[in-house]
Amino acid sequence: MRIFYLFKKELIEILRQKEMLVLIFVAPILQTIVLGYVVTTDVKNIPVQVVNLSQTQDAYRIVNRINHSSLFDVKKISHIPEDYISIFKKGTAKAIIILRDGFNEGRRNLNYPEVQILMDGIDANTSGIAAGYFNGIVRHYIMTDIQKKGIEFPLKNKTVIRFNPNLESINYMGPGIVALLLTIISMFFTSIAIVREKEQQTMDTLLISRLTPIEIYTGKALPMALLGLIEMGIGILVVVLVFGIFIRGNLGYLLLAAAIFLFANLSYALLISTLCTSQQQALFFSWFSMVLFLLLSGLFTPVENIPSAFRWLADINPLRYLIRIIREIFLKGNDITYFINDLLIMSGITVVILSLSLFNFKRMVSK
Amino acid sequence: MKRIKAVVLKEAFHILRDPKSLAILFLLPVVMILVLGYSLSFDLKNIETVVIDYSQSELSRSLIQKFSHNQTYSVTQMVKGEGSQSPEETAEEMLKSGEIKQFIIIPQDFSSRIKKGLISHIGVVIDGSDSNIANIVHQYNEMLTFGFISELRDLKDIFQISTKLYFNPENKSVFYIIPGLVAVIMIMISALLTSLSVSREKETGSIELLFISPLQSHEIVLGKTVPYVFIALIEGALILAFARVMFRIPFRGNLWILLVFSLVYIVTGLSLGITISTMASSQKVAMMATLLITLLPSILLSGFIFPLDSLSPILRAFSYIVPATYFLEVIRGLILKGAGWKHFASQGLILIGFSVLFLVIASVKFSQQRKAGK
Repeated sequence: MRIFYLFKKELIEILRQKEMLVLIFVAPILQTIVLGYVVTTDVKNIPVQVVNLSQTQDAYRIVNRINHSSLFDVKKISHIPEDYISIFKKGTAKAIIILRDGFNEGRRNLNYPEVQILMDGIDANTSGIAAGYFNGIVRHYIMTDIQKKGIEFPLKNKTVIRFNPNLESINYMGPGIVALLLTIISMFFTSIAIVREKEQQTMDTLLISRLTPIEIYTGKALPMALLGLIEMGIGILVVVLVFGIFIRGNLGYLLLAAAIFLFANLSYALLISTLCTSQQQALFFSWFSMVLFLLLSGLFTPVENIPSAFRWLADINPLRYLIRIIREIFLKGNDITYFINDLLIMSGITVVILSLSLFNFKRMVSK
Repeated sequence: MKRIKAVVLKEAFHILRDPKSLAILFLLPVVMILVLGYSLSFDLKNIETVVIDYSQSELSRSLIQKFSHNQTYSVTQMVKGEGSQSPEETAEEMLKSGEIKQFIIIPQDFSSRIKKGLISHIGVVIDGSDSNIANIVHQYNEMLTFGFISELRDLKDIFQISTKLYFNPENKSVFYIIPGLVAVIMIMISALLTSLSVSREKETGSIELLFISPLQSHEIVLGKTVPYVFIALIEGALILAFARVMFRIPFRGNLWILLVFSLVYIVTGLSLGITISTMASSQKVAMMATLLITLLPSILLSGFIFPLDSLSPILRAFSYIVPATYFLEVIRGLILKGAGWKHFASQGLILIGFSVLFLVIASVKFSQQRKAGK
């Protein structure tokens, strides 16, 4: 029961300032909503330029289609060659499509314009998407035209998309953003929990109390775990209500995974807290860890692209497993057999970090 | 000037007193650039594909070859399902467990229908859970089957699209990852540095000494910002030099432009930090607020990962208040394109405007607290 008093003290310490309530509950919700809309937005309105050097009907029609597509924001249509490098330098267009007369004399009515697509390689992500769209429009035009002229295509792909048929990225990114915010808040608060007492010299007061080191440790971790779970609940609720996501899997497993993740996160933060000597150091270490956890979680870029020298960093990243489990539960609606491995690995990581951090804490206390 | 200098010296002593923190501060960002620069890439490799070929004909084999010869795909053929399952059921399971990204079914009458001049459909089932990947996989598939058709019907050169990537012919993703990382790390380091400077004095009570000093509020705010400019500038130069050497990013622009803009950007970050610091009542509030304001917005709202052109005007407005947006435009323009001063006038003015605004808010806030404190 003694631990309850420490629990209460910690909770009061976190929540006694009104600004803290805003930071823990209001700010993350607002961020979830704004960032949720950002990641949901399909890539469209890409600024492009069209250079049509061909006089043919086909070229005219292709340009027309590009011009009317909401995928592009056509800045300019010209009929003479331009200085393409300076266009990219000015940054007015991310991609340029050039149509020229083709030279397939032998084909008479199948003589389509030659297409060249120039991309701004600095933002190759966006210009690559633009090139893909151009490709699609031109190919679609030529294929329908060929079919109109009586040539049948012998082969068609019938594509079915599983789990997320409308390809809405919010289904995947929304819960992911909640997990990111949860990481930021819980890791940061806990990372200063012990170091603050050291800095303000109140650690000794705690140590001469009748609390055992393990009780102190638990008393430090539990309040944030509780707040974290509440936060996660609110976050998921916001994502579900605002973005209308349908949870296919078992919500209980999601909470279980979130709880295990929180413990990994909290014990890691407490490890930082015992190792650092000032709040500033703790701040920088937790910031450093957060950025690595977030960006190597597989939410933004595929984990497979990480070179083997750094792969272990992703393998010990608990956030990566949480993101995977979220995807399994939210999108695929898979039952536990599909992510039991992720759950077990995450638990293993939690146990290791927890014992490391407890060990360190005890050593610090005994000094 | 002399009085500001006194505050600058005081703050500088404070920083230098803790060399361990300083060392950590210089080391961490370099490690971040190293690890993340190599690890972040949007490229799609190994689209794991299972092909179930019921046709087993020459035509179906040449179609499969189209896929397996493409380096982005990693194709395996499946003849029998696991246990009593049909091949489709097994493939469906593999899709569910995430082992494969898609599977393709070639029907039995594939070859005979095509030879008769009829249309044959092949079935493609893609895992859509990551919508971006699914989209790309779908486009690649269409391109490959179109290639197959055009060879079959001798329409090969009817469809000529060539692409050319300017500034970055090998399509290295470090060219757009590194500038983004540099922008995110620089703003965060500078904001975090100053976020503690005033709030720490509030917590320890030493702020009273500053309150009763003859110094004016804006002098204190400036004096507390200046020493960090040096630290952040060295830090910034270190990050840039490291990024340049490690990832061999060609630098075609004017080095002075980069330095001036880094300085302006750093000052923006520092003044953001000091504003938060004067408004917060304790160190932990200041740190938390700084983390929330800078971390995710700088990654997601600056154009680092998601293109900004697609955003609706309301969301776009949010990106305009993220300083990283402007610095990212400058550094991307500078690194490979070698753009000049005149291209970046607006970005520079906006960043300077931000800094002035933040410093004014911090000074006003500080003098208010001072009056209340007295």
